[in-house]
Formats: sequence, structure tokens, C-alpha cells
Amino acid sequence: MSDFLVLKVMAKLLIPFILLFGFYVQMHGDYGPGGGFQAGVIIAAAFILYAIVFDVKTARRAAPMAVLISIACVGVLLYAGVGVANLIYGGRFLEYGVLAHEAAQGNHIGILIVEIGVGMTVAAVMMVIFFSFARRR
Amino acid sequence: MGTVARQGARQGRRAIDLTLNIILLIFVTATGIAAVWLRNLLASTMVLGIYSLLMAALWVVLDAVDVAFTEAAVGAGVTTVLMLLAIALTGHKEKRSRTKPWLPLAVSFATAGLLIYATLGMPAFGIADAPAQLHVAPYYLERGQTETGVPNVVTAVLASYRGFDTLGEVTVIFTAGMGVLVLLGGATRRQRRVPAPAEEDSA
Amino acid sequence: MILDILSWISIAIGAFFVLVSGVGVWRMPDLFTRMHPAGLTDSTGAGFLLLGLLLQSDDWLVSVKLVLIFIFLLFTSPVATHALAHAALLDGLKPWVRSRDKARDKDGEP
Repeated sequence: MSDFLVLKVMAKLLIPFILLFGFYVQMHGDYGPGGGFQAGVIIAAAFILYAIVFDVKTARRAAPMAVLISIACVGVLLYAGVGVANLIYGGRFLEYGVLAHEAAQGNHIGILIVEIGVGMTVAAVMMVIFFSFARRR
Repeated sequence: MGTVARQGARQGRRAIDLTLNIILLIFVTATGIAAVWLRNLLASTMVLGIYSLLMAALWVVLDAVDVAFTEAAVGAGVTTVLMLLAIALTGHKEKRSRTKPWLPLAVSFATAGLLIYATLGMPAFGIADAPAQLHVAPYYLERGQTETGVPNVVTAVLASYRGFDTLGEVTVIFTAGMGVLVLLGGATRRQRRVPAPAEEDSA
Repeated sequence: MILDILSWISIAIGAFFVLVSGVGVWRMPDLFTRMHPAGLTDSTGAGFLLLGLLLQSDDWLVSVKLVLIFIFLLFTSPVATHALAHAALLDGLKPWVRSRDKARDKDGEP
């Protein structure tokens, strides 16, 4: 019987659902409240909950700092990359309409990719800040 | 019969709206003052969490559900944890300042007075023919779904019509993360030795 | 109409429990006794309020979401109370005992 048994069992039960809800909010930003920022924070909160209830070392093994920094960079690059891709396809910067045959489709695709980029960056940055603070103890 | 009942319902709804707004604003002001007044930083952090929750409720009453979602997730969730971590690294109590801040207080009150006086010249909150409601807002509401294919107007405005601003926001968040890394030195894999007790500052 | 009356009664009971919880937190002497009324908000208060809202919903999807909210509240709120009490015990806070606190006995009960 370890200490904090109740907390550990509950965290093990709840963390998958928190991650699932985070992905749900990310993907349903088009049809309801949600989007990249909220989803990033919720996913980061799941990892932070794990790091608080169990130990920080195991959480860092699950999400190493190099991977987190890479994900943050890839998120911003994805967003700006969509803008540059619009330039390549002949439109203006961040004018998503040229990504598909009709403007509405292109806009929808552009918004989806951009929100994924935002979600990735926000989640990675929240986790980077948490692990930077938690490391100094 | 129908119009009288409908008007009665509208009066009732407005009265409940007004009561909710007044109660929430009183509590928001009280928690704001309490967060500044308390000297114990842990209690201050908890009060700021309550403040974020009340602000999220205010946003819901104003029908801004996306903003309420973000405020609840960020303010009452992650920010409280990060502030607790920062307090664990530094100290629990706020230091007493030597001088009384009378001049900054006077400047704050003067600025607040000027701002309140300036809002008297703006159109009333939420009336239908304010310039803010006539120019771009009807355009976004009418053409948002057909032009972007996304039913949620907030996401359409955020990611498509104002996509450049959101790119700036994401860059700011990224820069904040990198700034924390540079300041706290978490990027390298170098294992720091546990600091000697003489080196640890007072908790 | 029946559904409206039932949901009114349910929401009123839920609001009453939340009020009782607030008064309890104010009146109780120390942390551990205060957590009992504070837990009332999340279990009975939220339960009756959600039941009242459940009776008003038109769509079965909204009803399922309300039930799920209640289940998640039932899972997380007692754990939060337990964590708080555990942290207070680990920090060294002792529960309030009446005989140790003679100065605060206002009612004069034995």
C-alpha cells in the first residue's frame, strides 16, 4: 500500500479521458467552442497532472525536453508554412482559399492545419515551462 | 396575450441578467482586492484561481463561450500550478515595502478616473447602431460560414479573417517558452548537482 | 408541464444544498470540519442541479453529456477533498477538539 493510493488510482483512471477530451476539443473547434489554444492547455494539463501525482522523472521520460522543443517549433513552422504554401500556390500570405478547388474548402483545410499548429505549440510550451520550473527543485 | 407574456418574460430575463452581472462583478472586485491585499503568496495564488473562475462565469453570461473556455482552462488550471511552482522556488511571503506608495496610488486613481470619464463618450454598451456592430461584425456573421465552411464564427474569425494576428499570438507563446528555457536553463541535459545547503536561498 | 415542475423542484433543492454548504463552511471551526459542507456542493448540490437540467433537455445527446459531467464530478471531487485533508495532515494540522478550545465555546454545551 503506497502513499497517496487514492490519488494514484484516480489519476490513472482520469488521464486518458483528459487527453481524449483535449483531442476532441481540438478537432471540434470548427463546430463548437474549442480550437487550438484550449486543446493545447488541456493536453498539457494531463501531463502536468501525471507529473504532480507520480514523479517528475517518469513524466520527463514520457515527454523529453528535446521532443517538446521540437514540437513547439514544428507548430509555429506549420502555421507559417501554411502561409508560405499559399504564396507558392499563387495566393497571398495566409489566404487559404487557394489550397483547394473552391475557396470554402481551401479555407476549411487551412483552418484545420493552422489550429493543429497552434495546439501543438501551446501544449509543448506549457509542458516546457512546467518541466523547467520543476527541474530546479 | 402572446406579446404581453413575451414582454414579461423579457423583463424577467433582463432582471436576472442584471442581478447575475452585479453579483459576479462584486465578487470579481472583492477577489481582485483580496489578491493584492494578502501578504501570503500561496493564499494570493488561490484567490487568483477563484478570480479566473468568476471571470469565466462573466464571459458565459456575456455569451462568449470560447473565451470562457480558454479562461477556465488557462486561468483556473495551468496558471495556478505554474504560479505555485514559482512560489516554491522563491518564497511564501511578500516583503514589506519601506515606503508607502502614495504617489503611485494617486496616479492610478487619476488614470482610472480619466478612463471612466472617457467611456462616457462612447456609445451605450451593446446597442444596435454602434459603429462596432455595423461595419465588420455583420459581414463576419453573414458571410462567415459560406466563405470559410466553418460554422463556428469565432474560429473562423480567429484563424481565417484574422489569421495574421493569431500567427503573432503563437509566436509570442513560443517566445515565452524559449525565454523561460533560457532563464531557467532546462534545455541542456547536463545533470546539475544537488545544491549544497549553504547555496540554497531561504524558503 | 410536469417536467417543468419537477425540474424547478430539483433545481430548488440543489440551490438549497449549495446554500447550506456555504453557511456550513462559514460556521465550522477548522479545516477538517469545513470540508464536510464544502463537499456537499459537488455531490448533492451539483447532482440535483444537473438532474433539473437533465429534465429540461430536448436532445438525448445533451442528456448523455450531463450524465457524464455528473459522473466525472463524482470521481474528482471526493479525491480533491481527500487530497486536501491528506495534505493538511501531512503538514501537521491537528483536528479541532472541543475540550482543547474552551475559549471558543459560545453555546455552553457540555
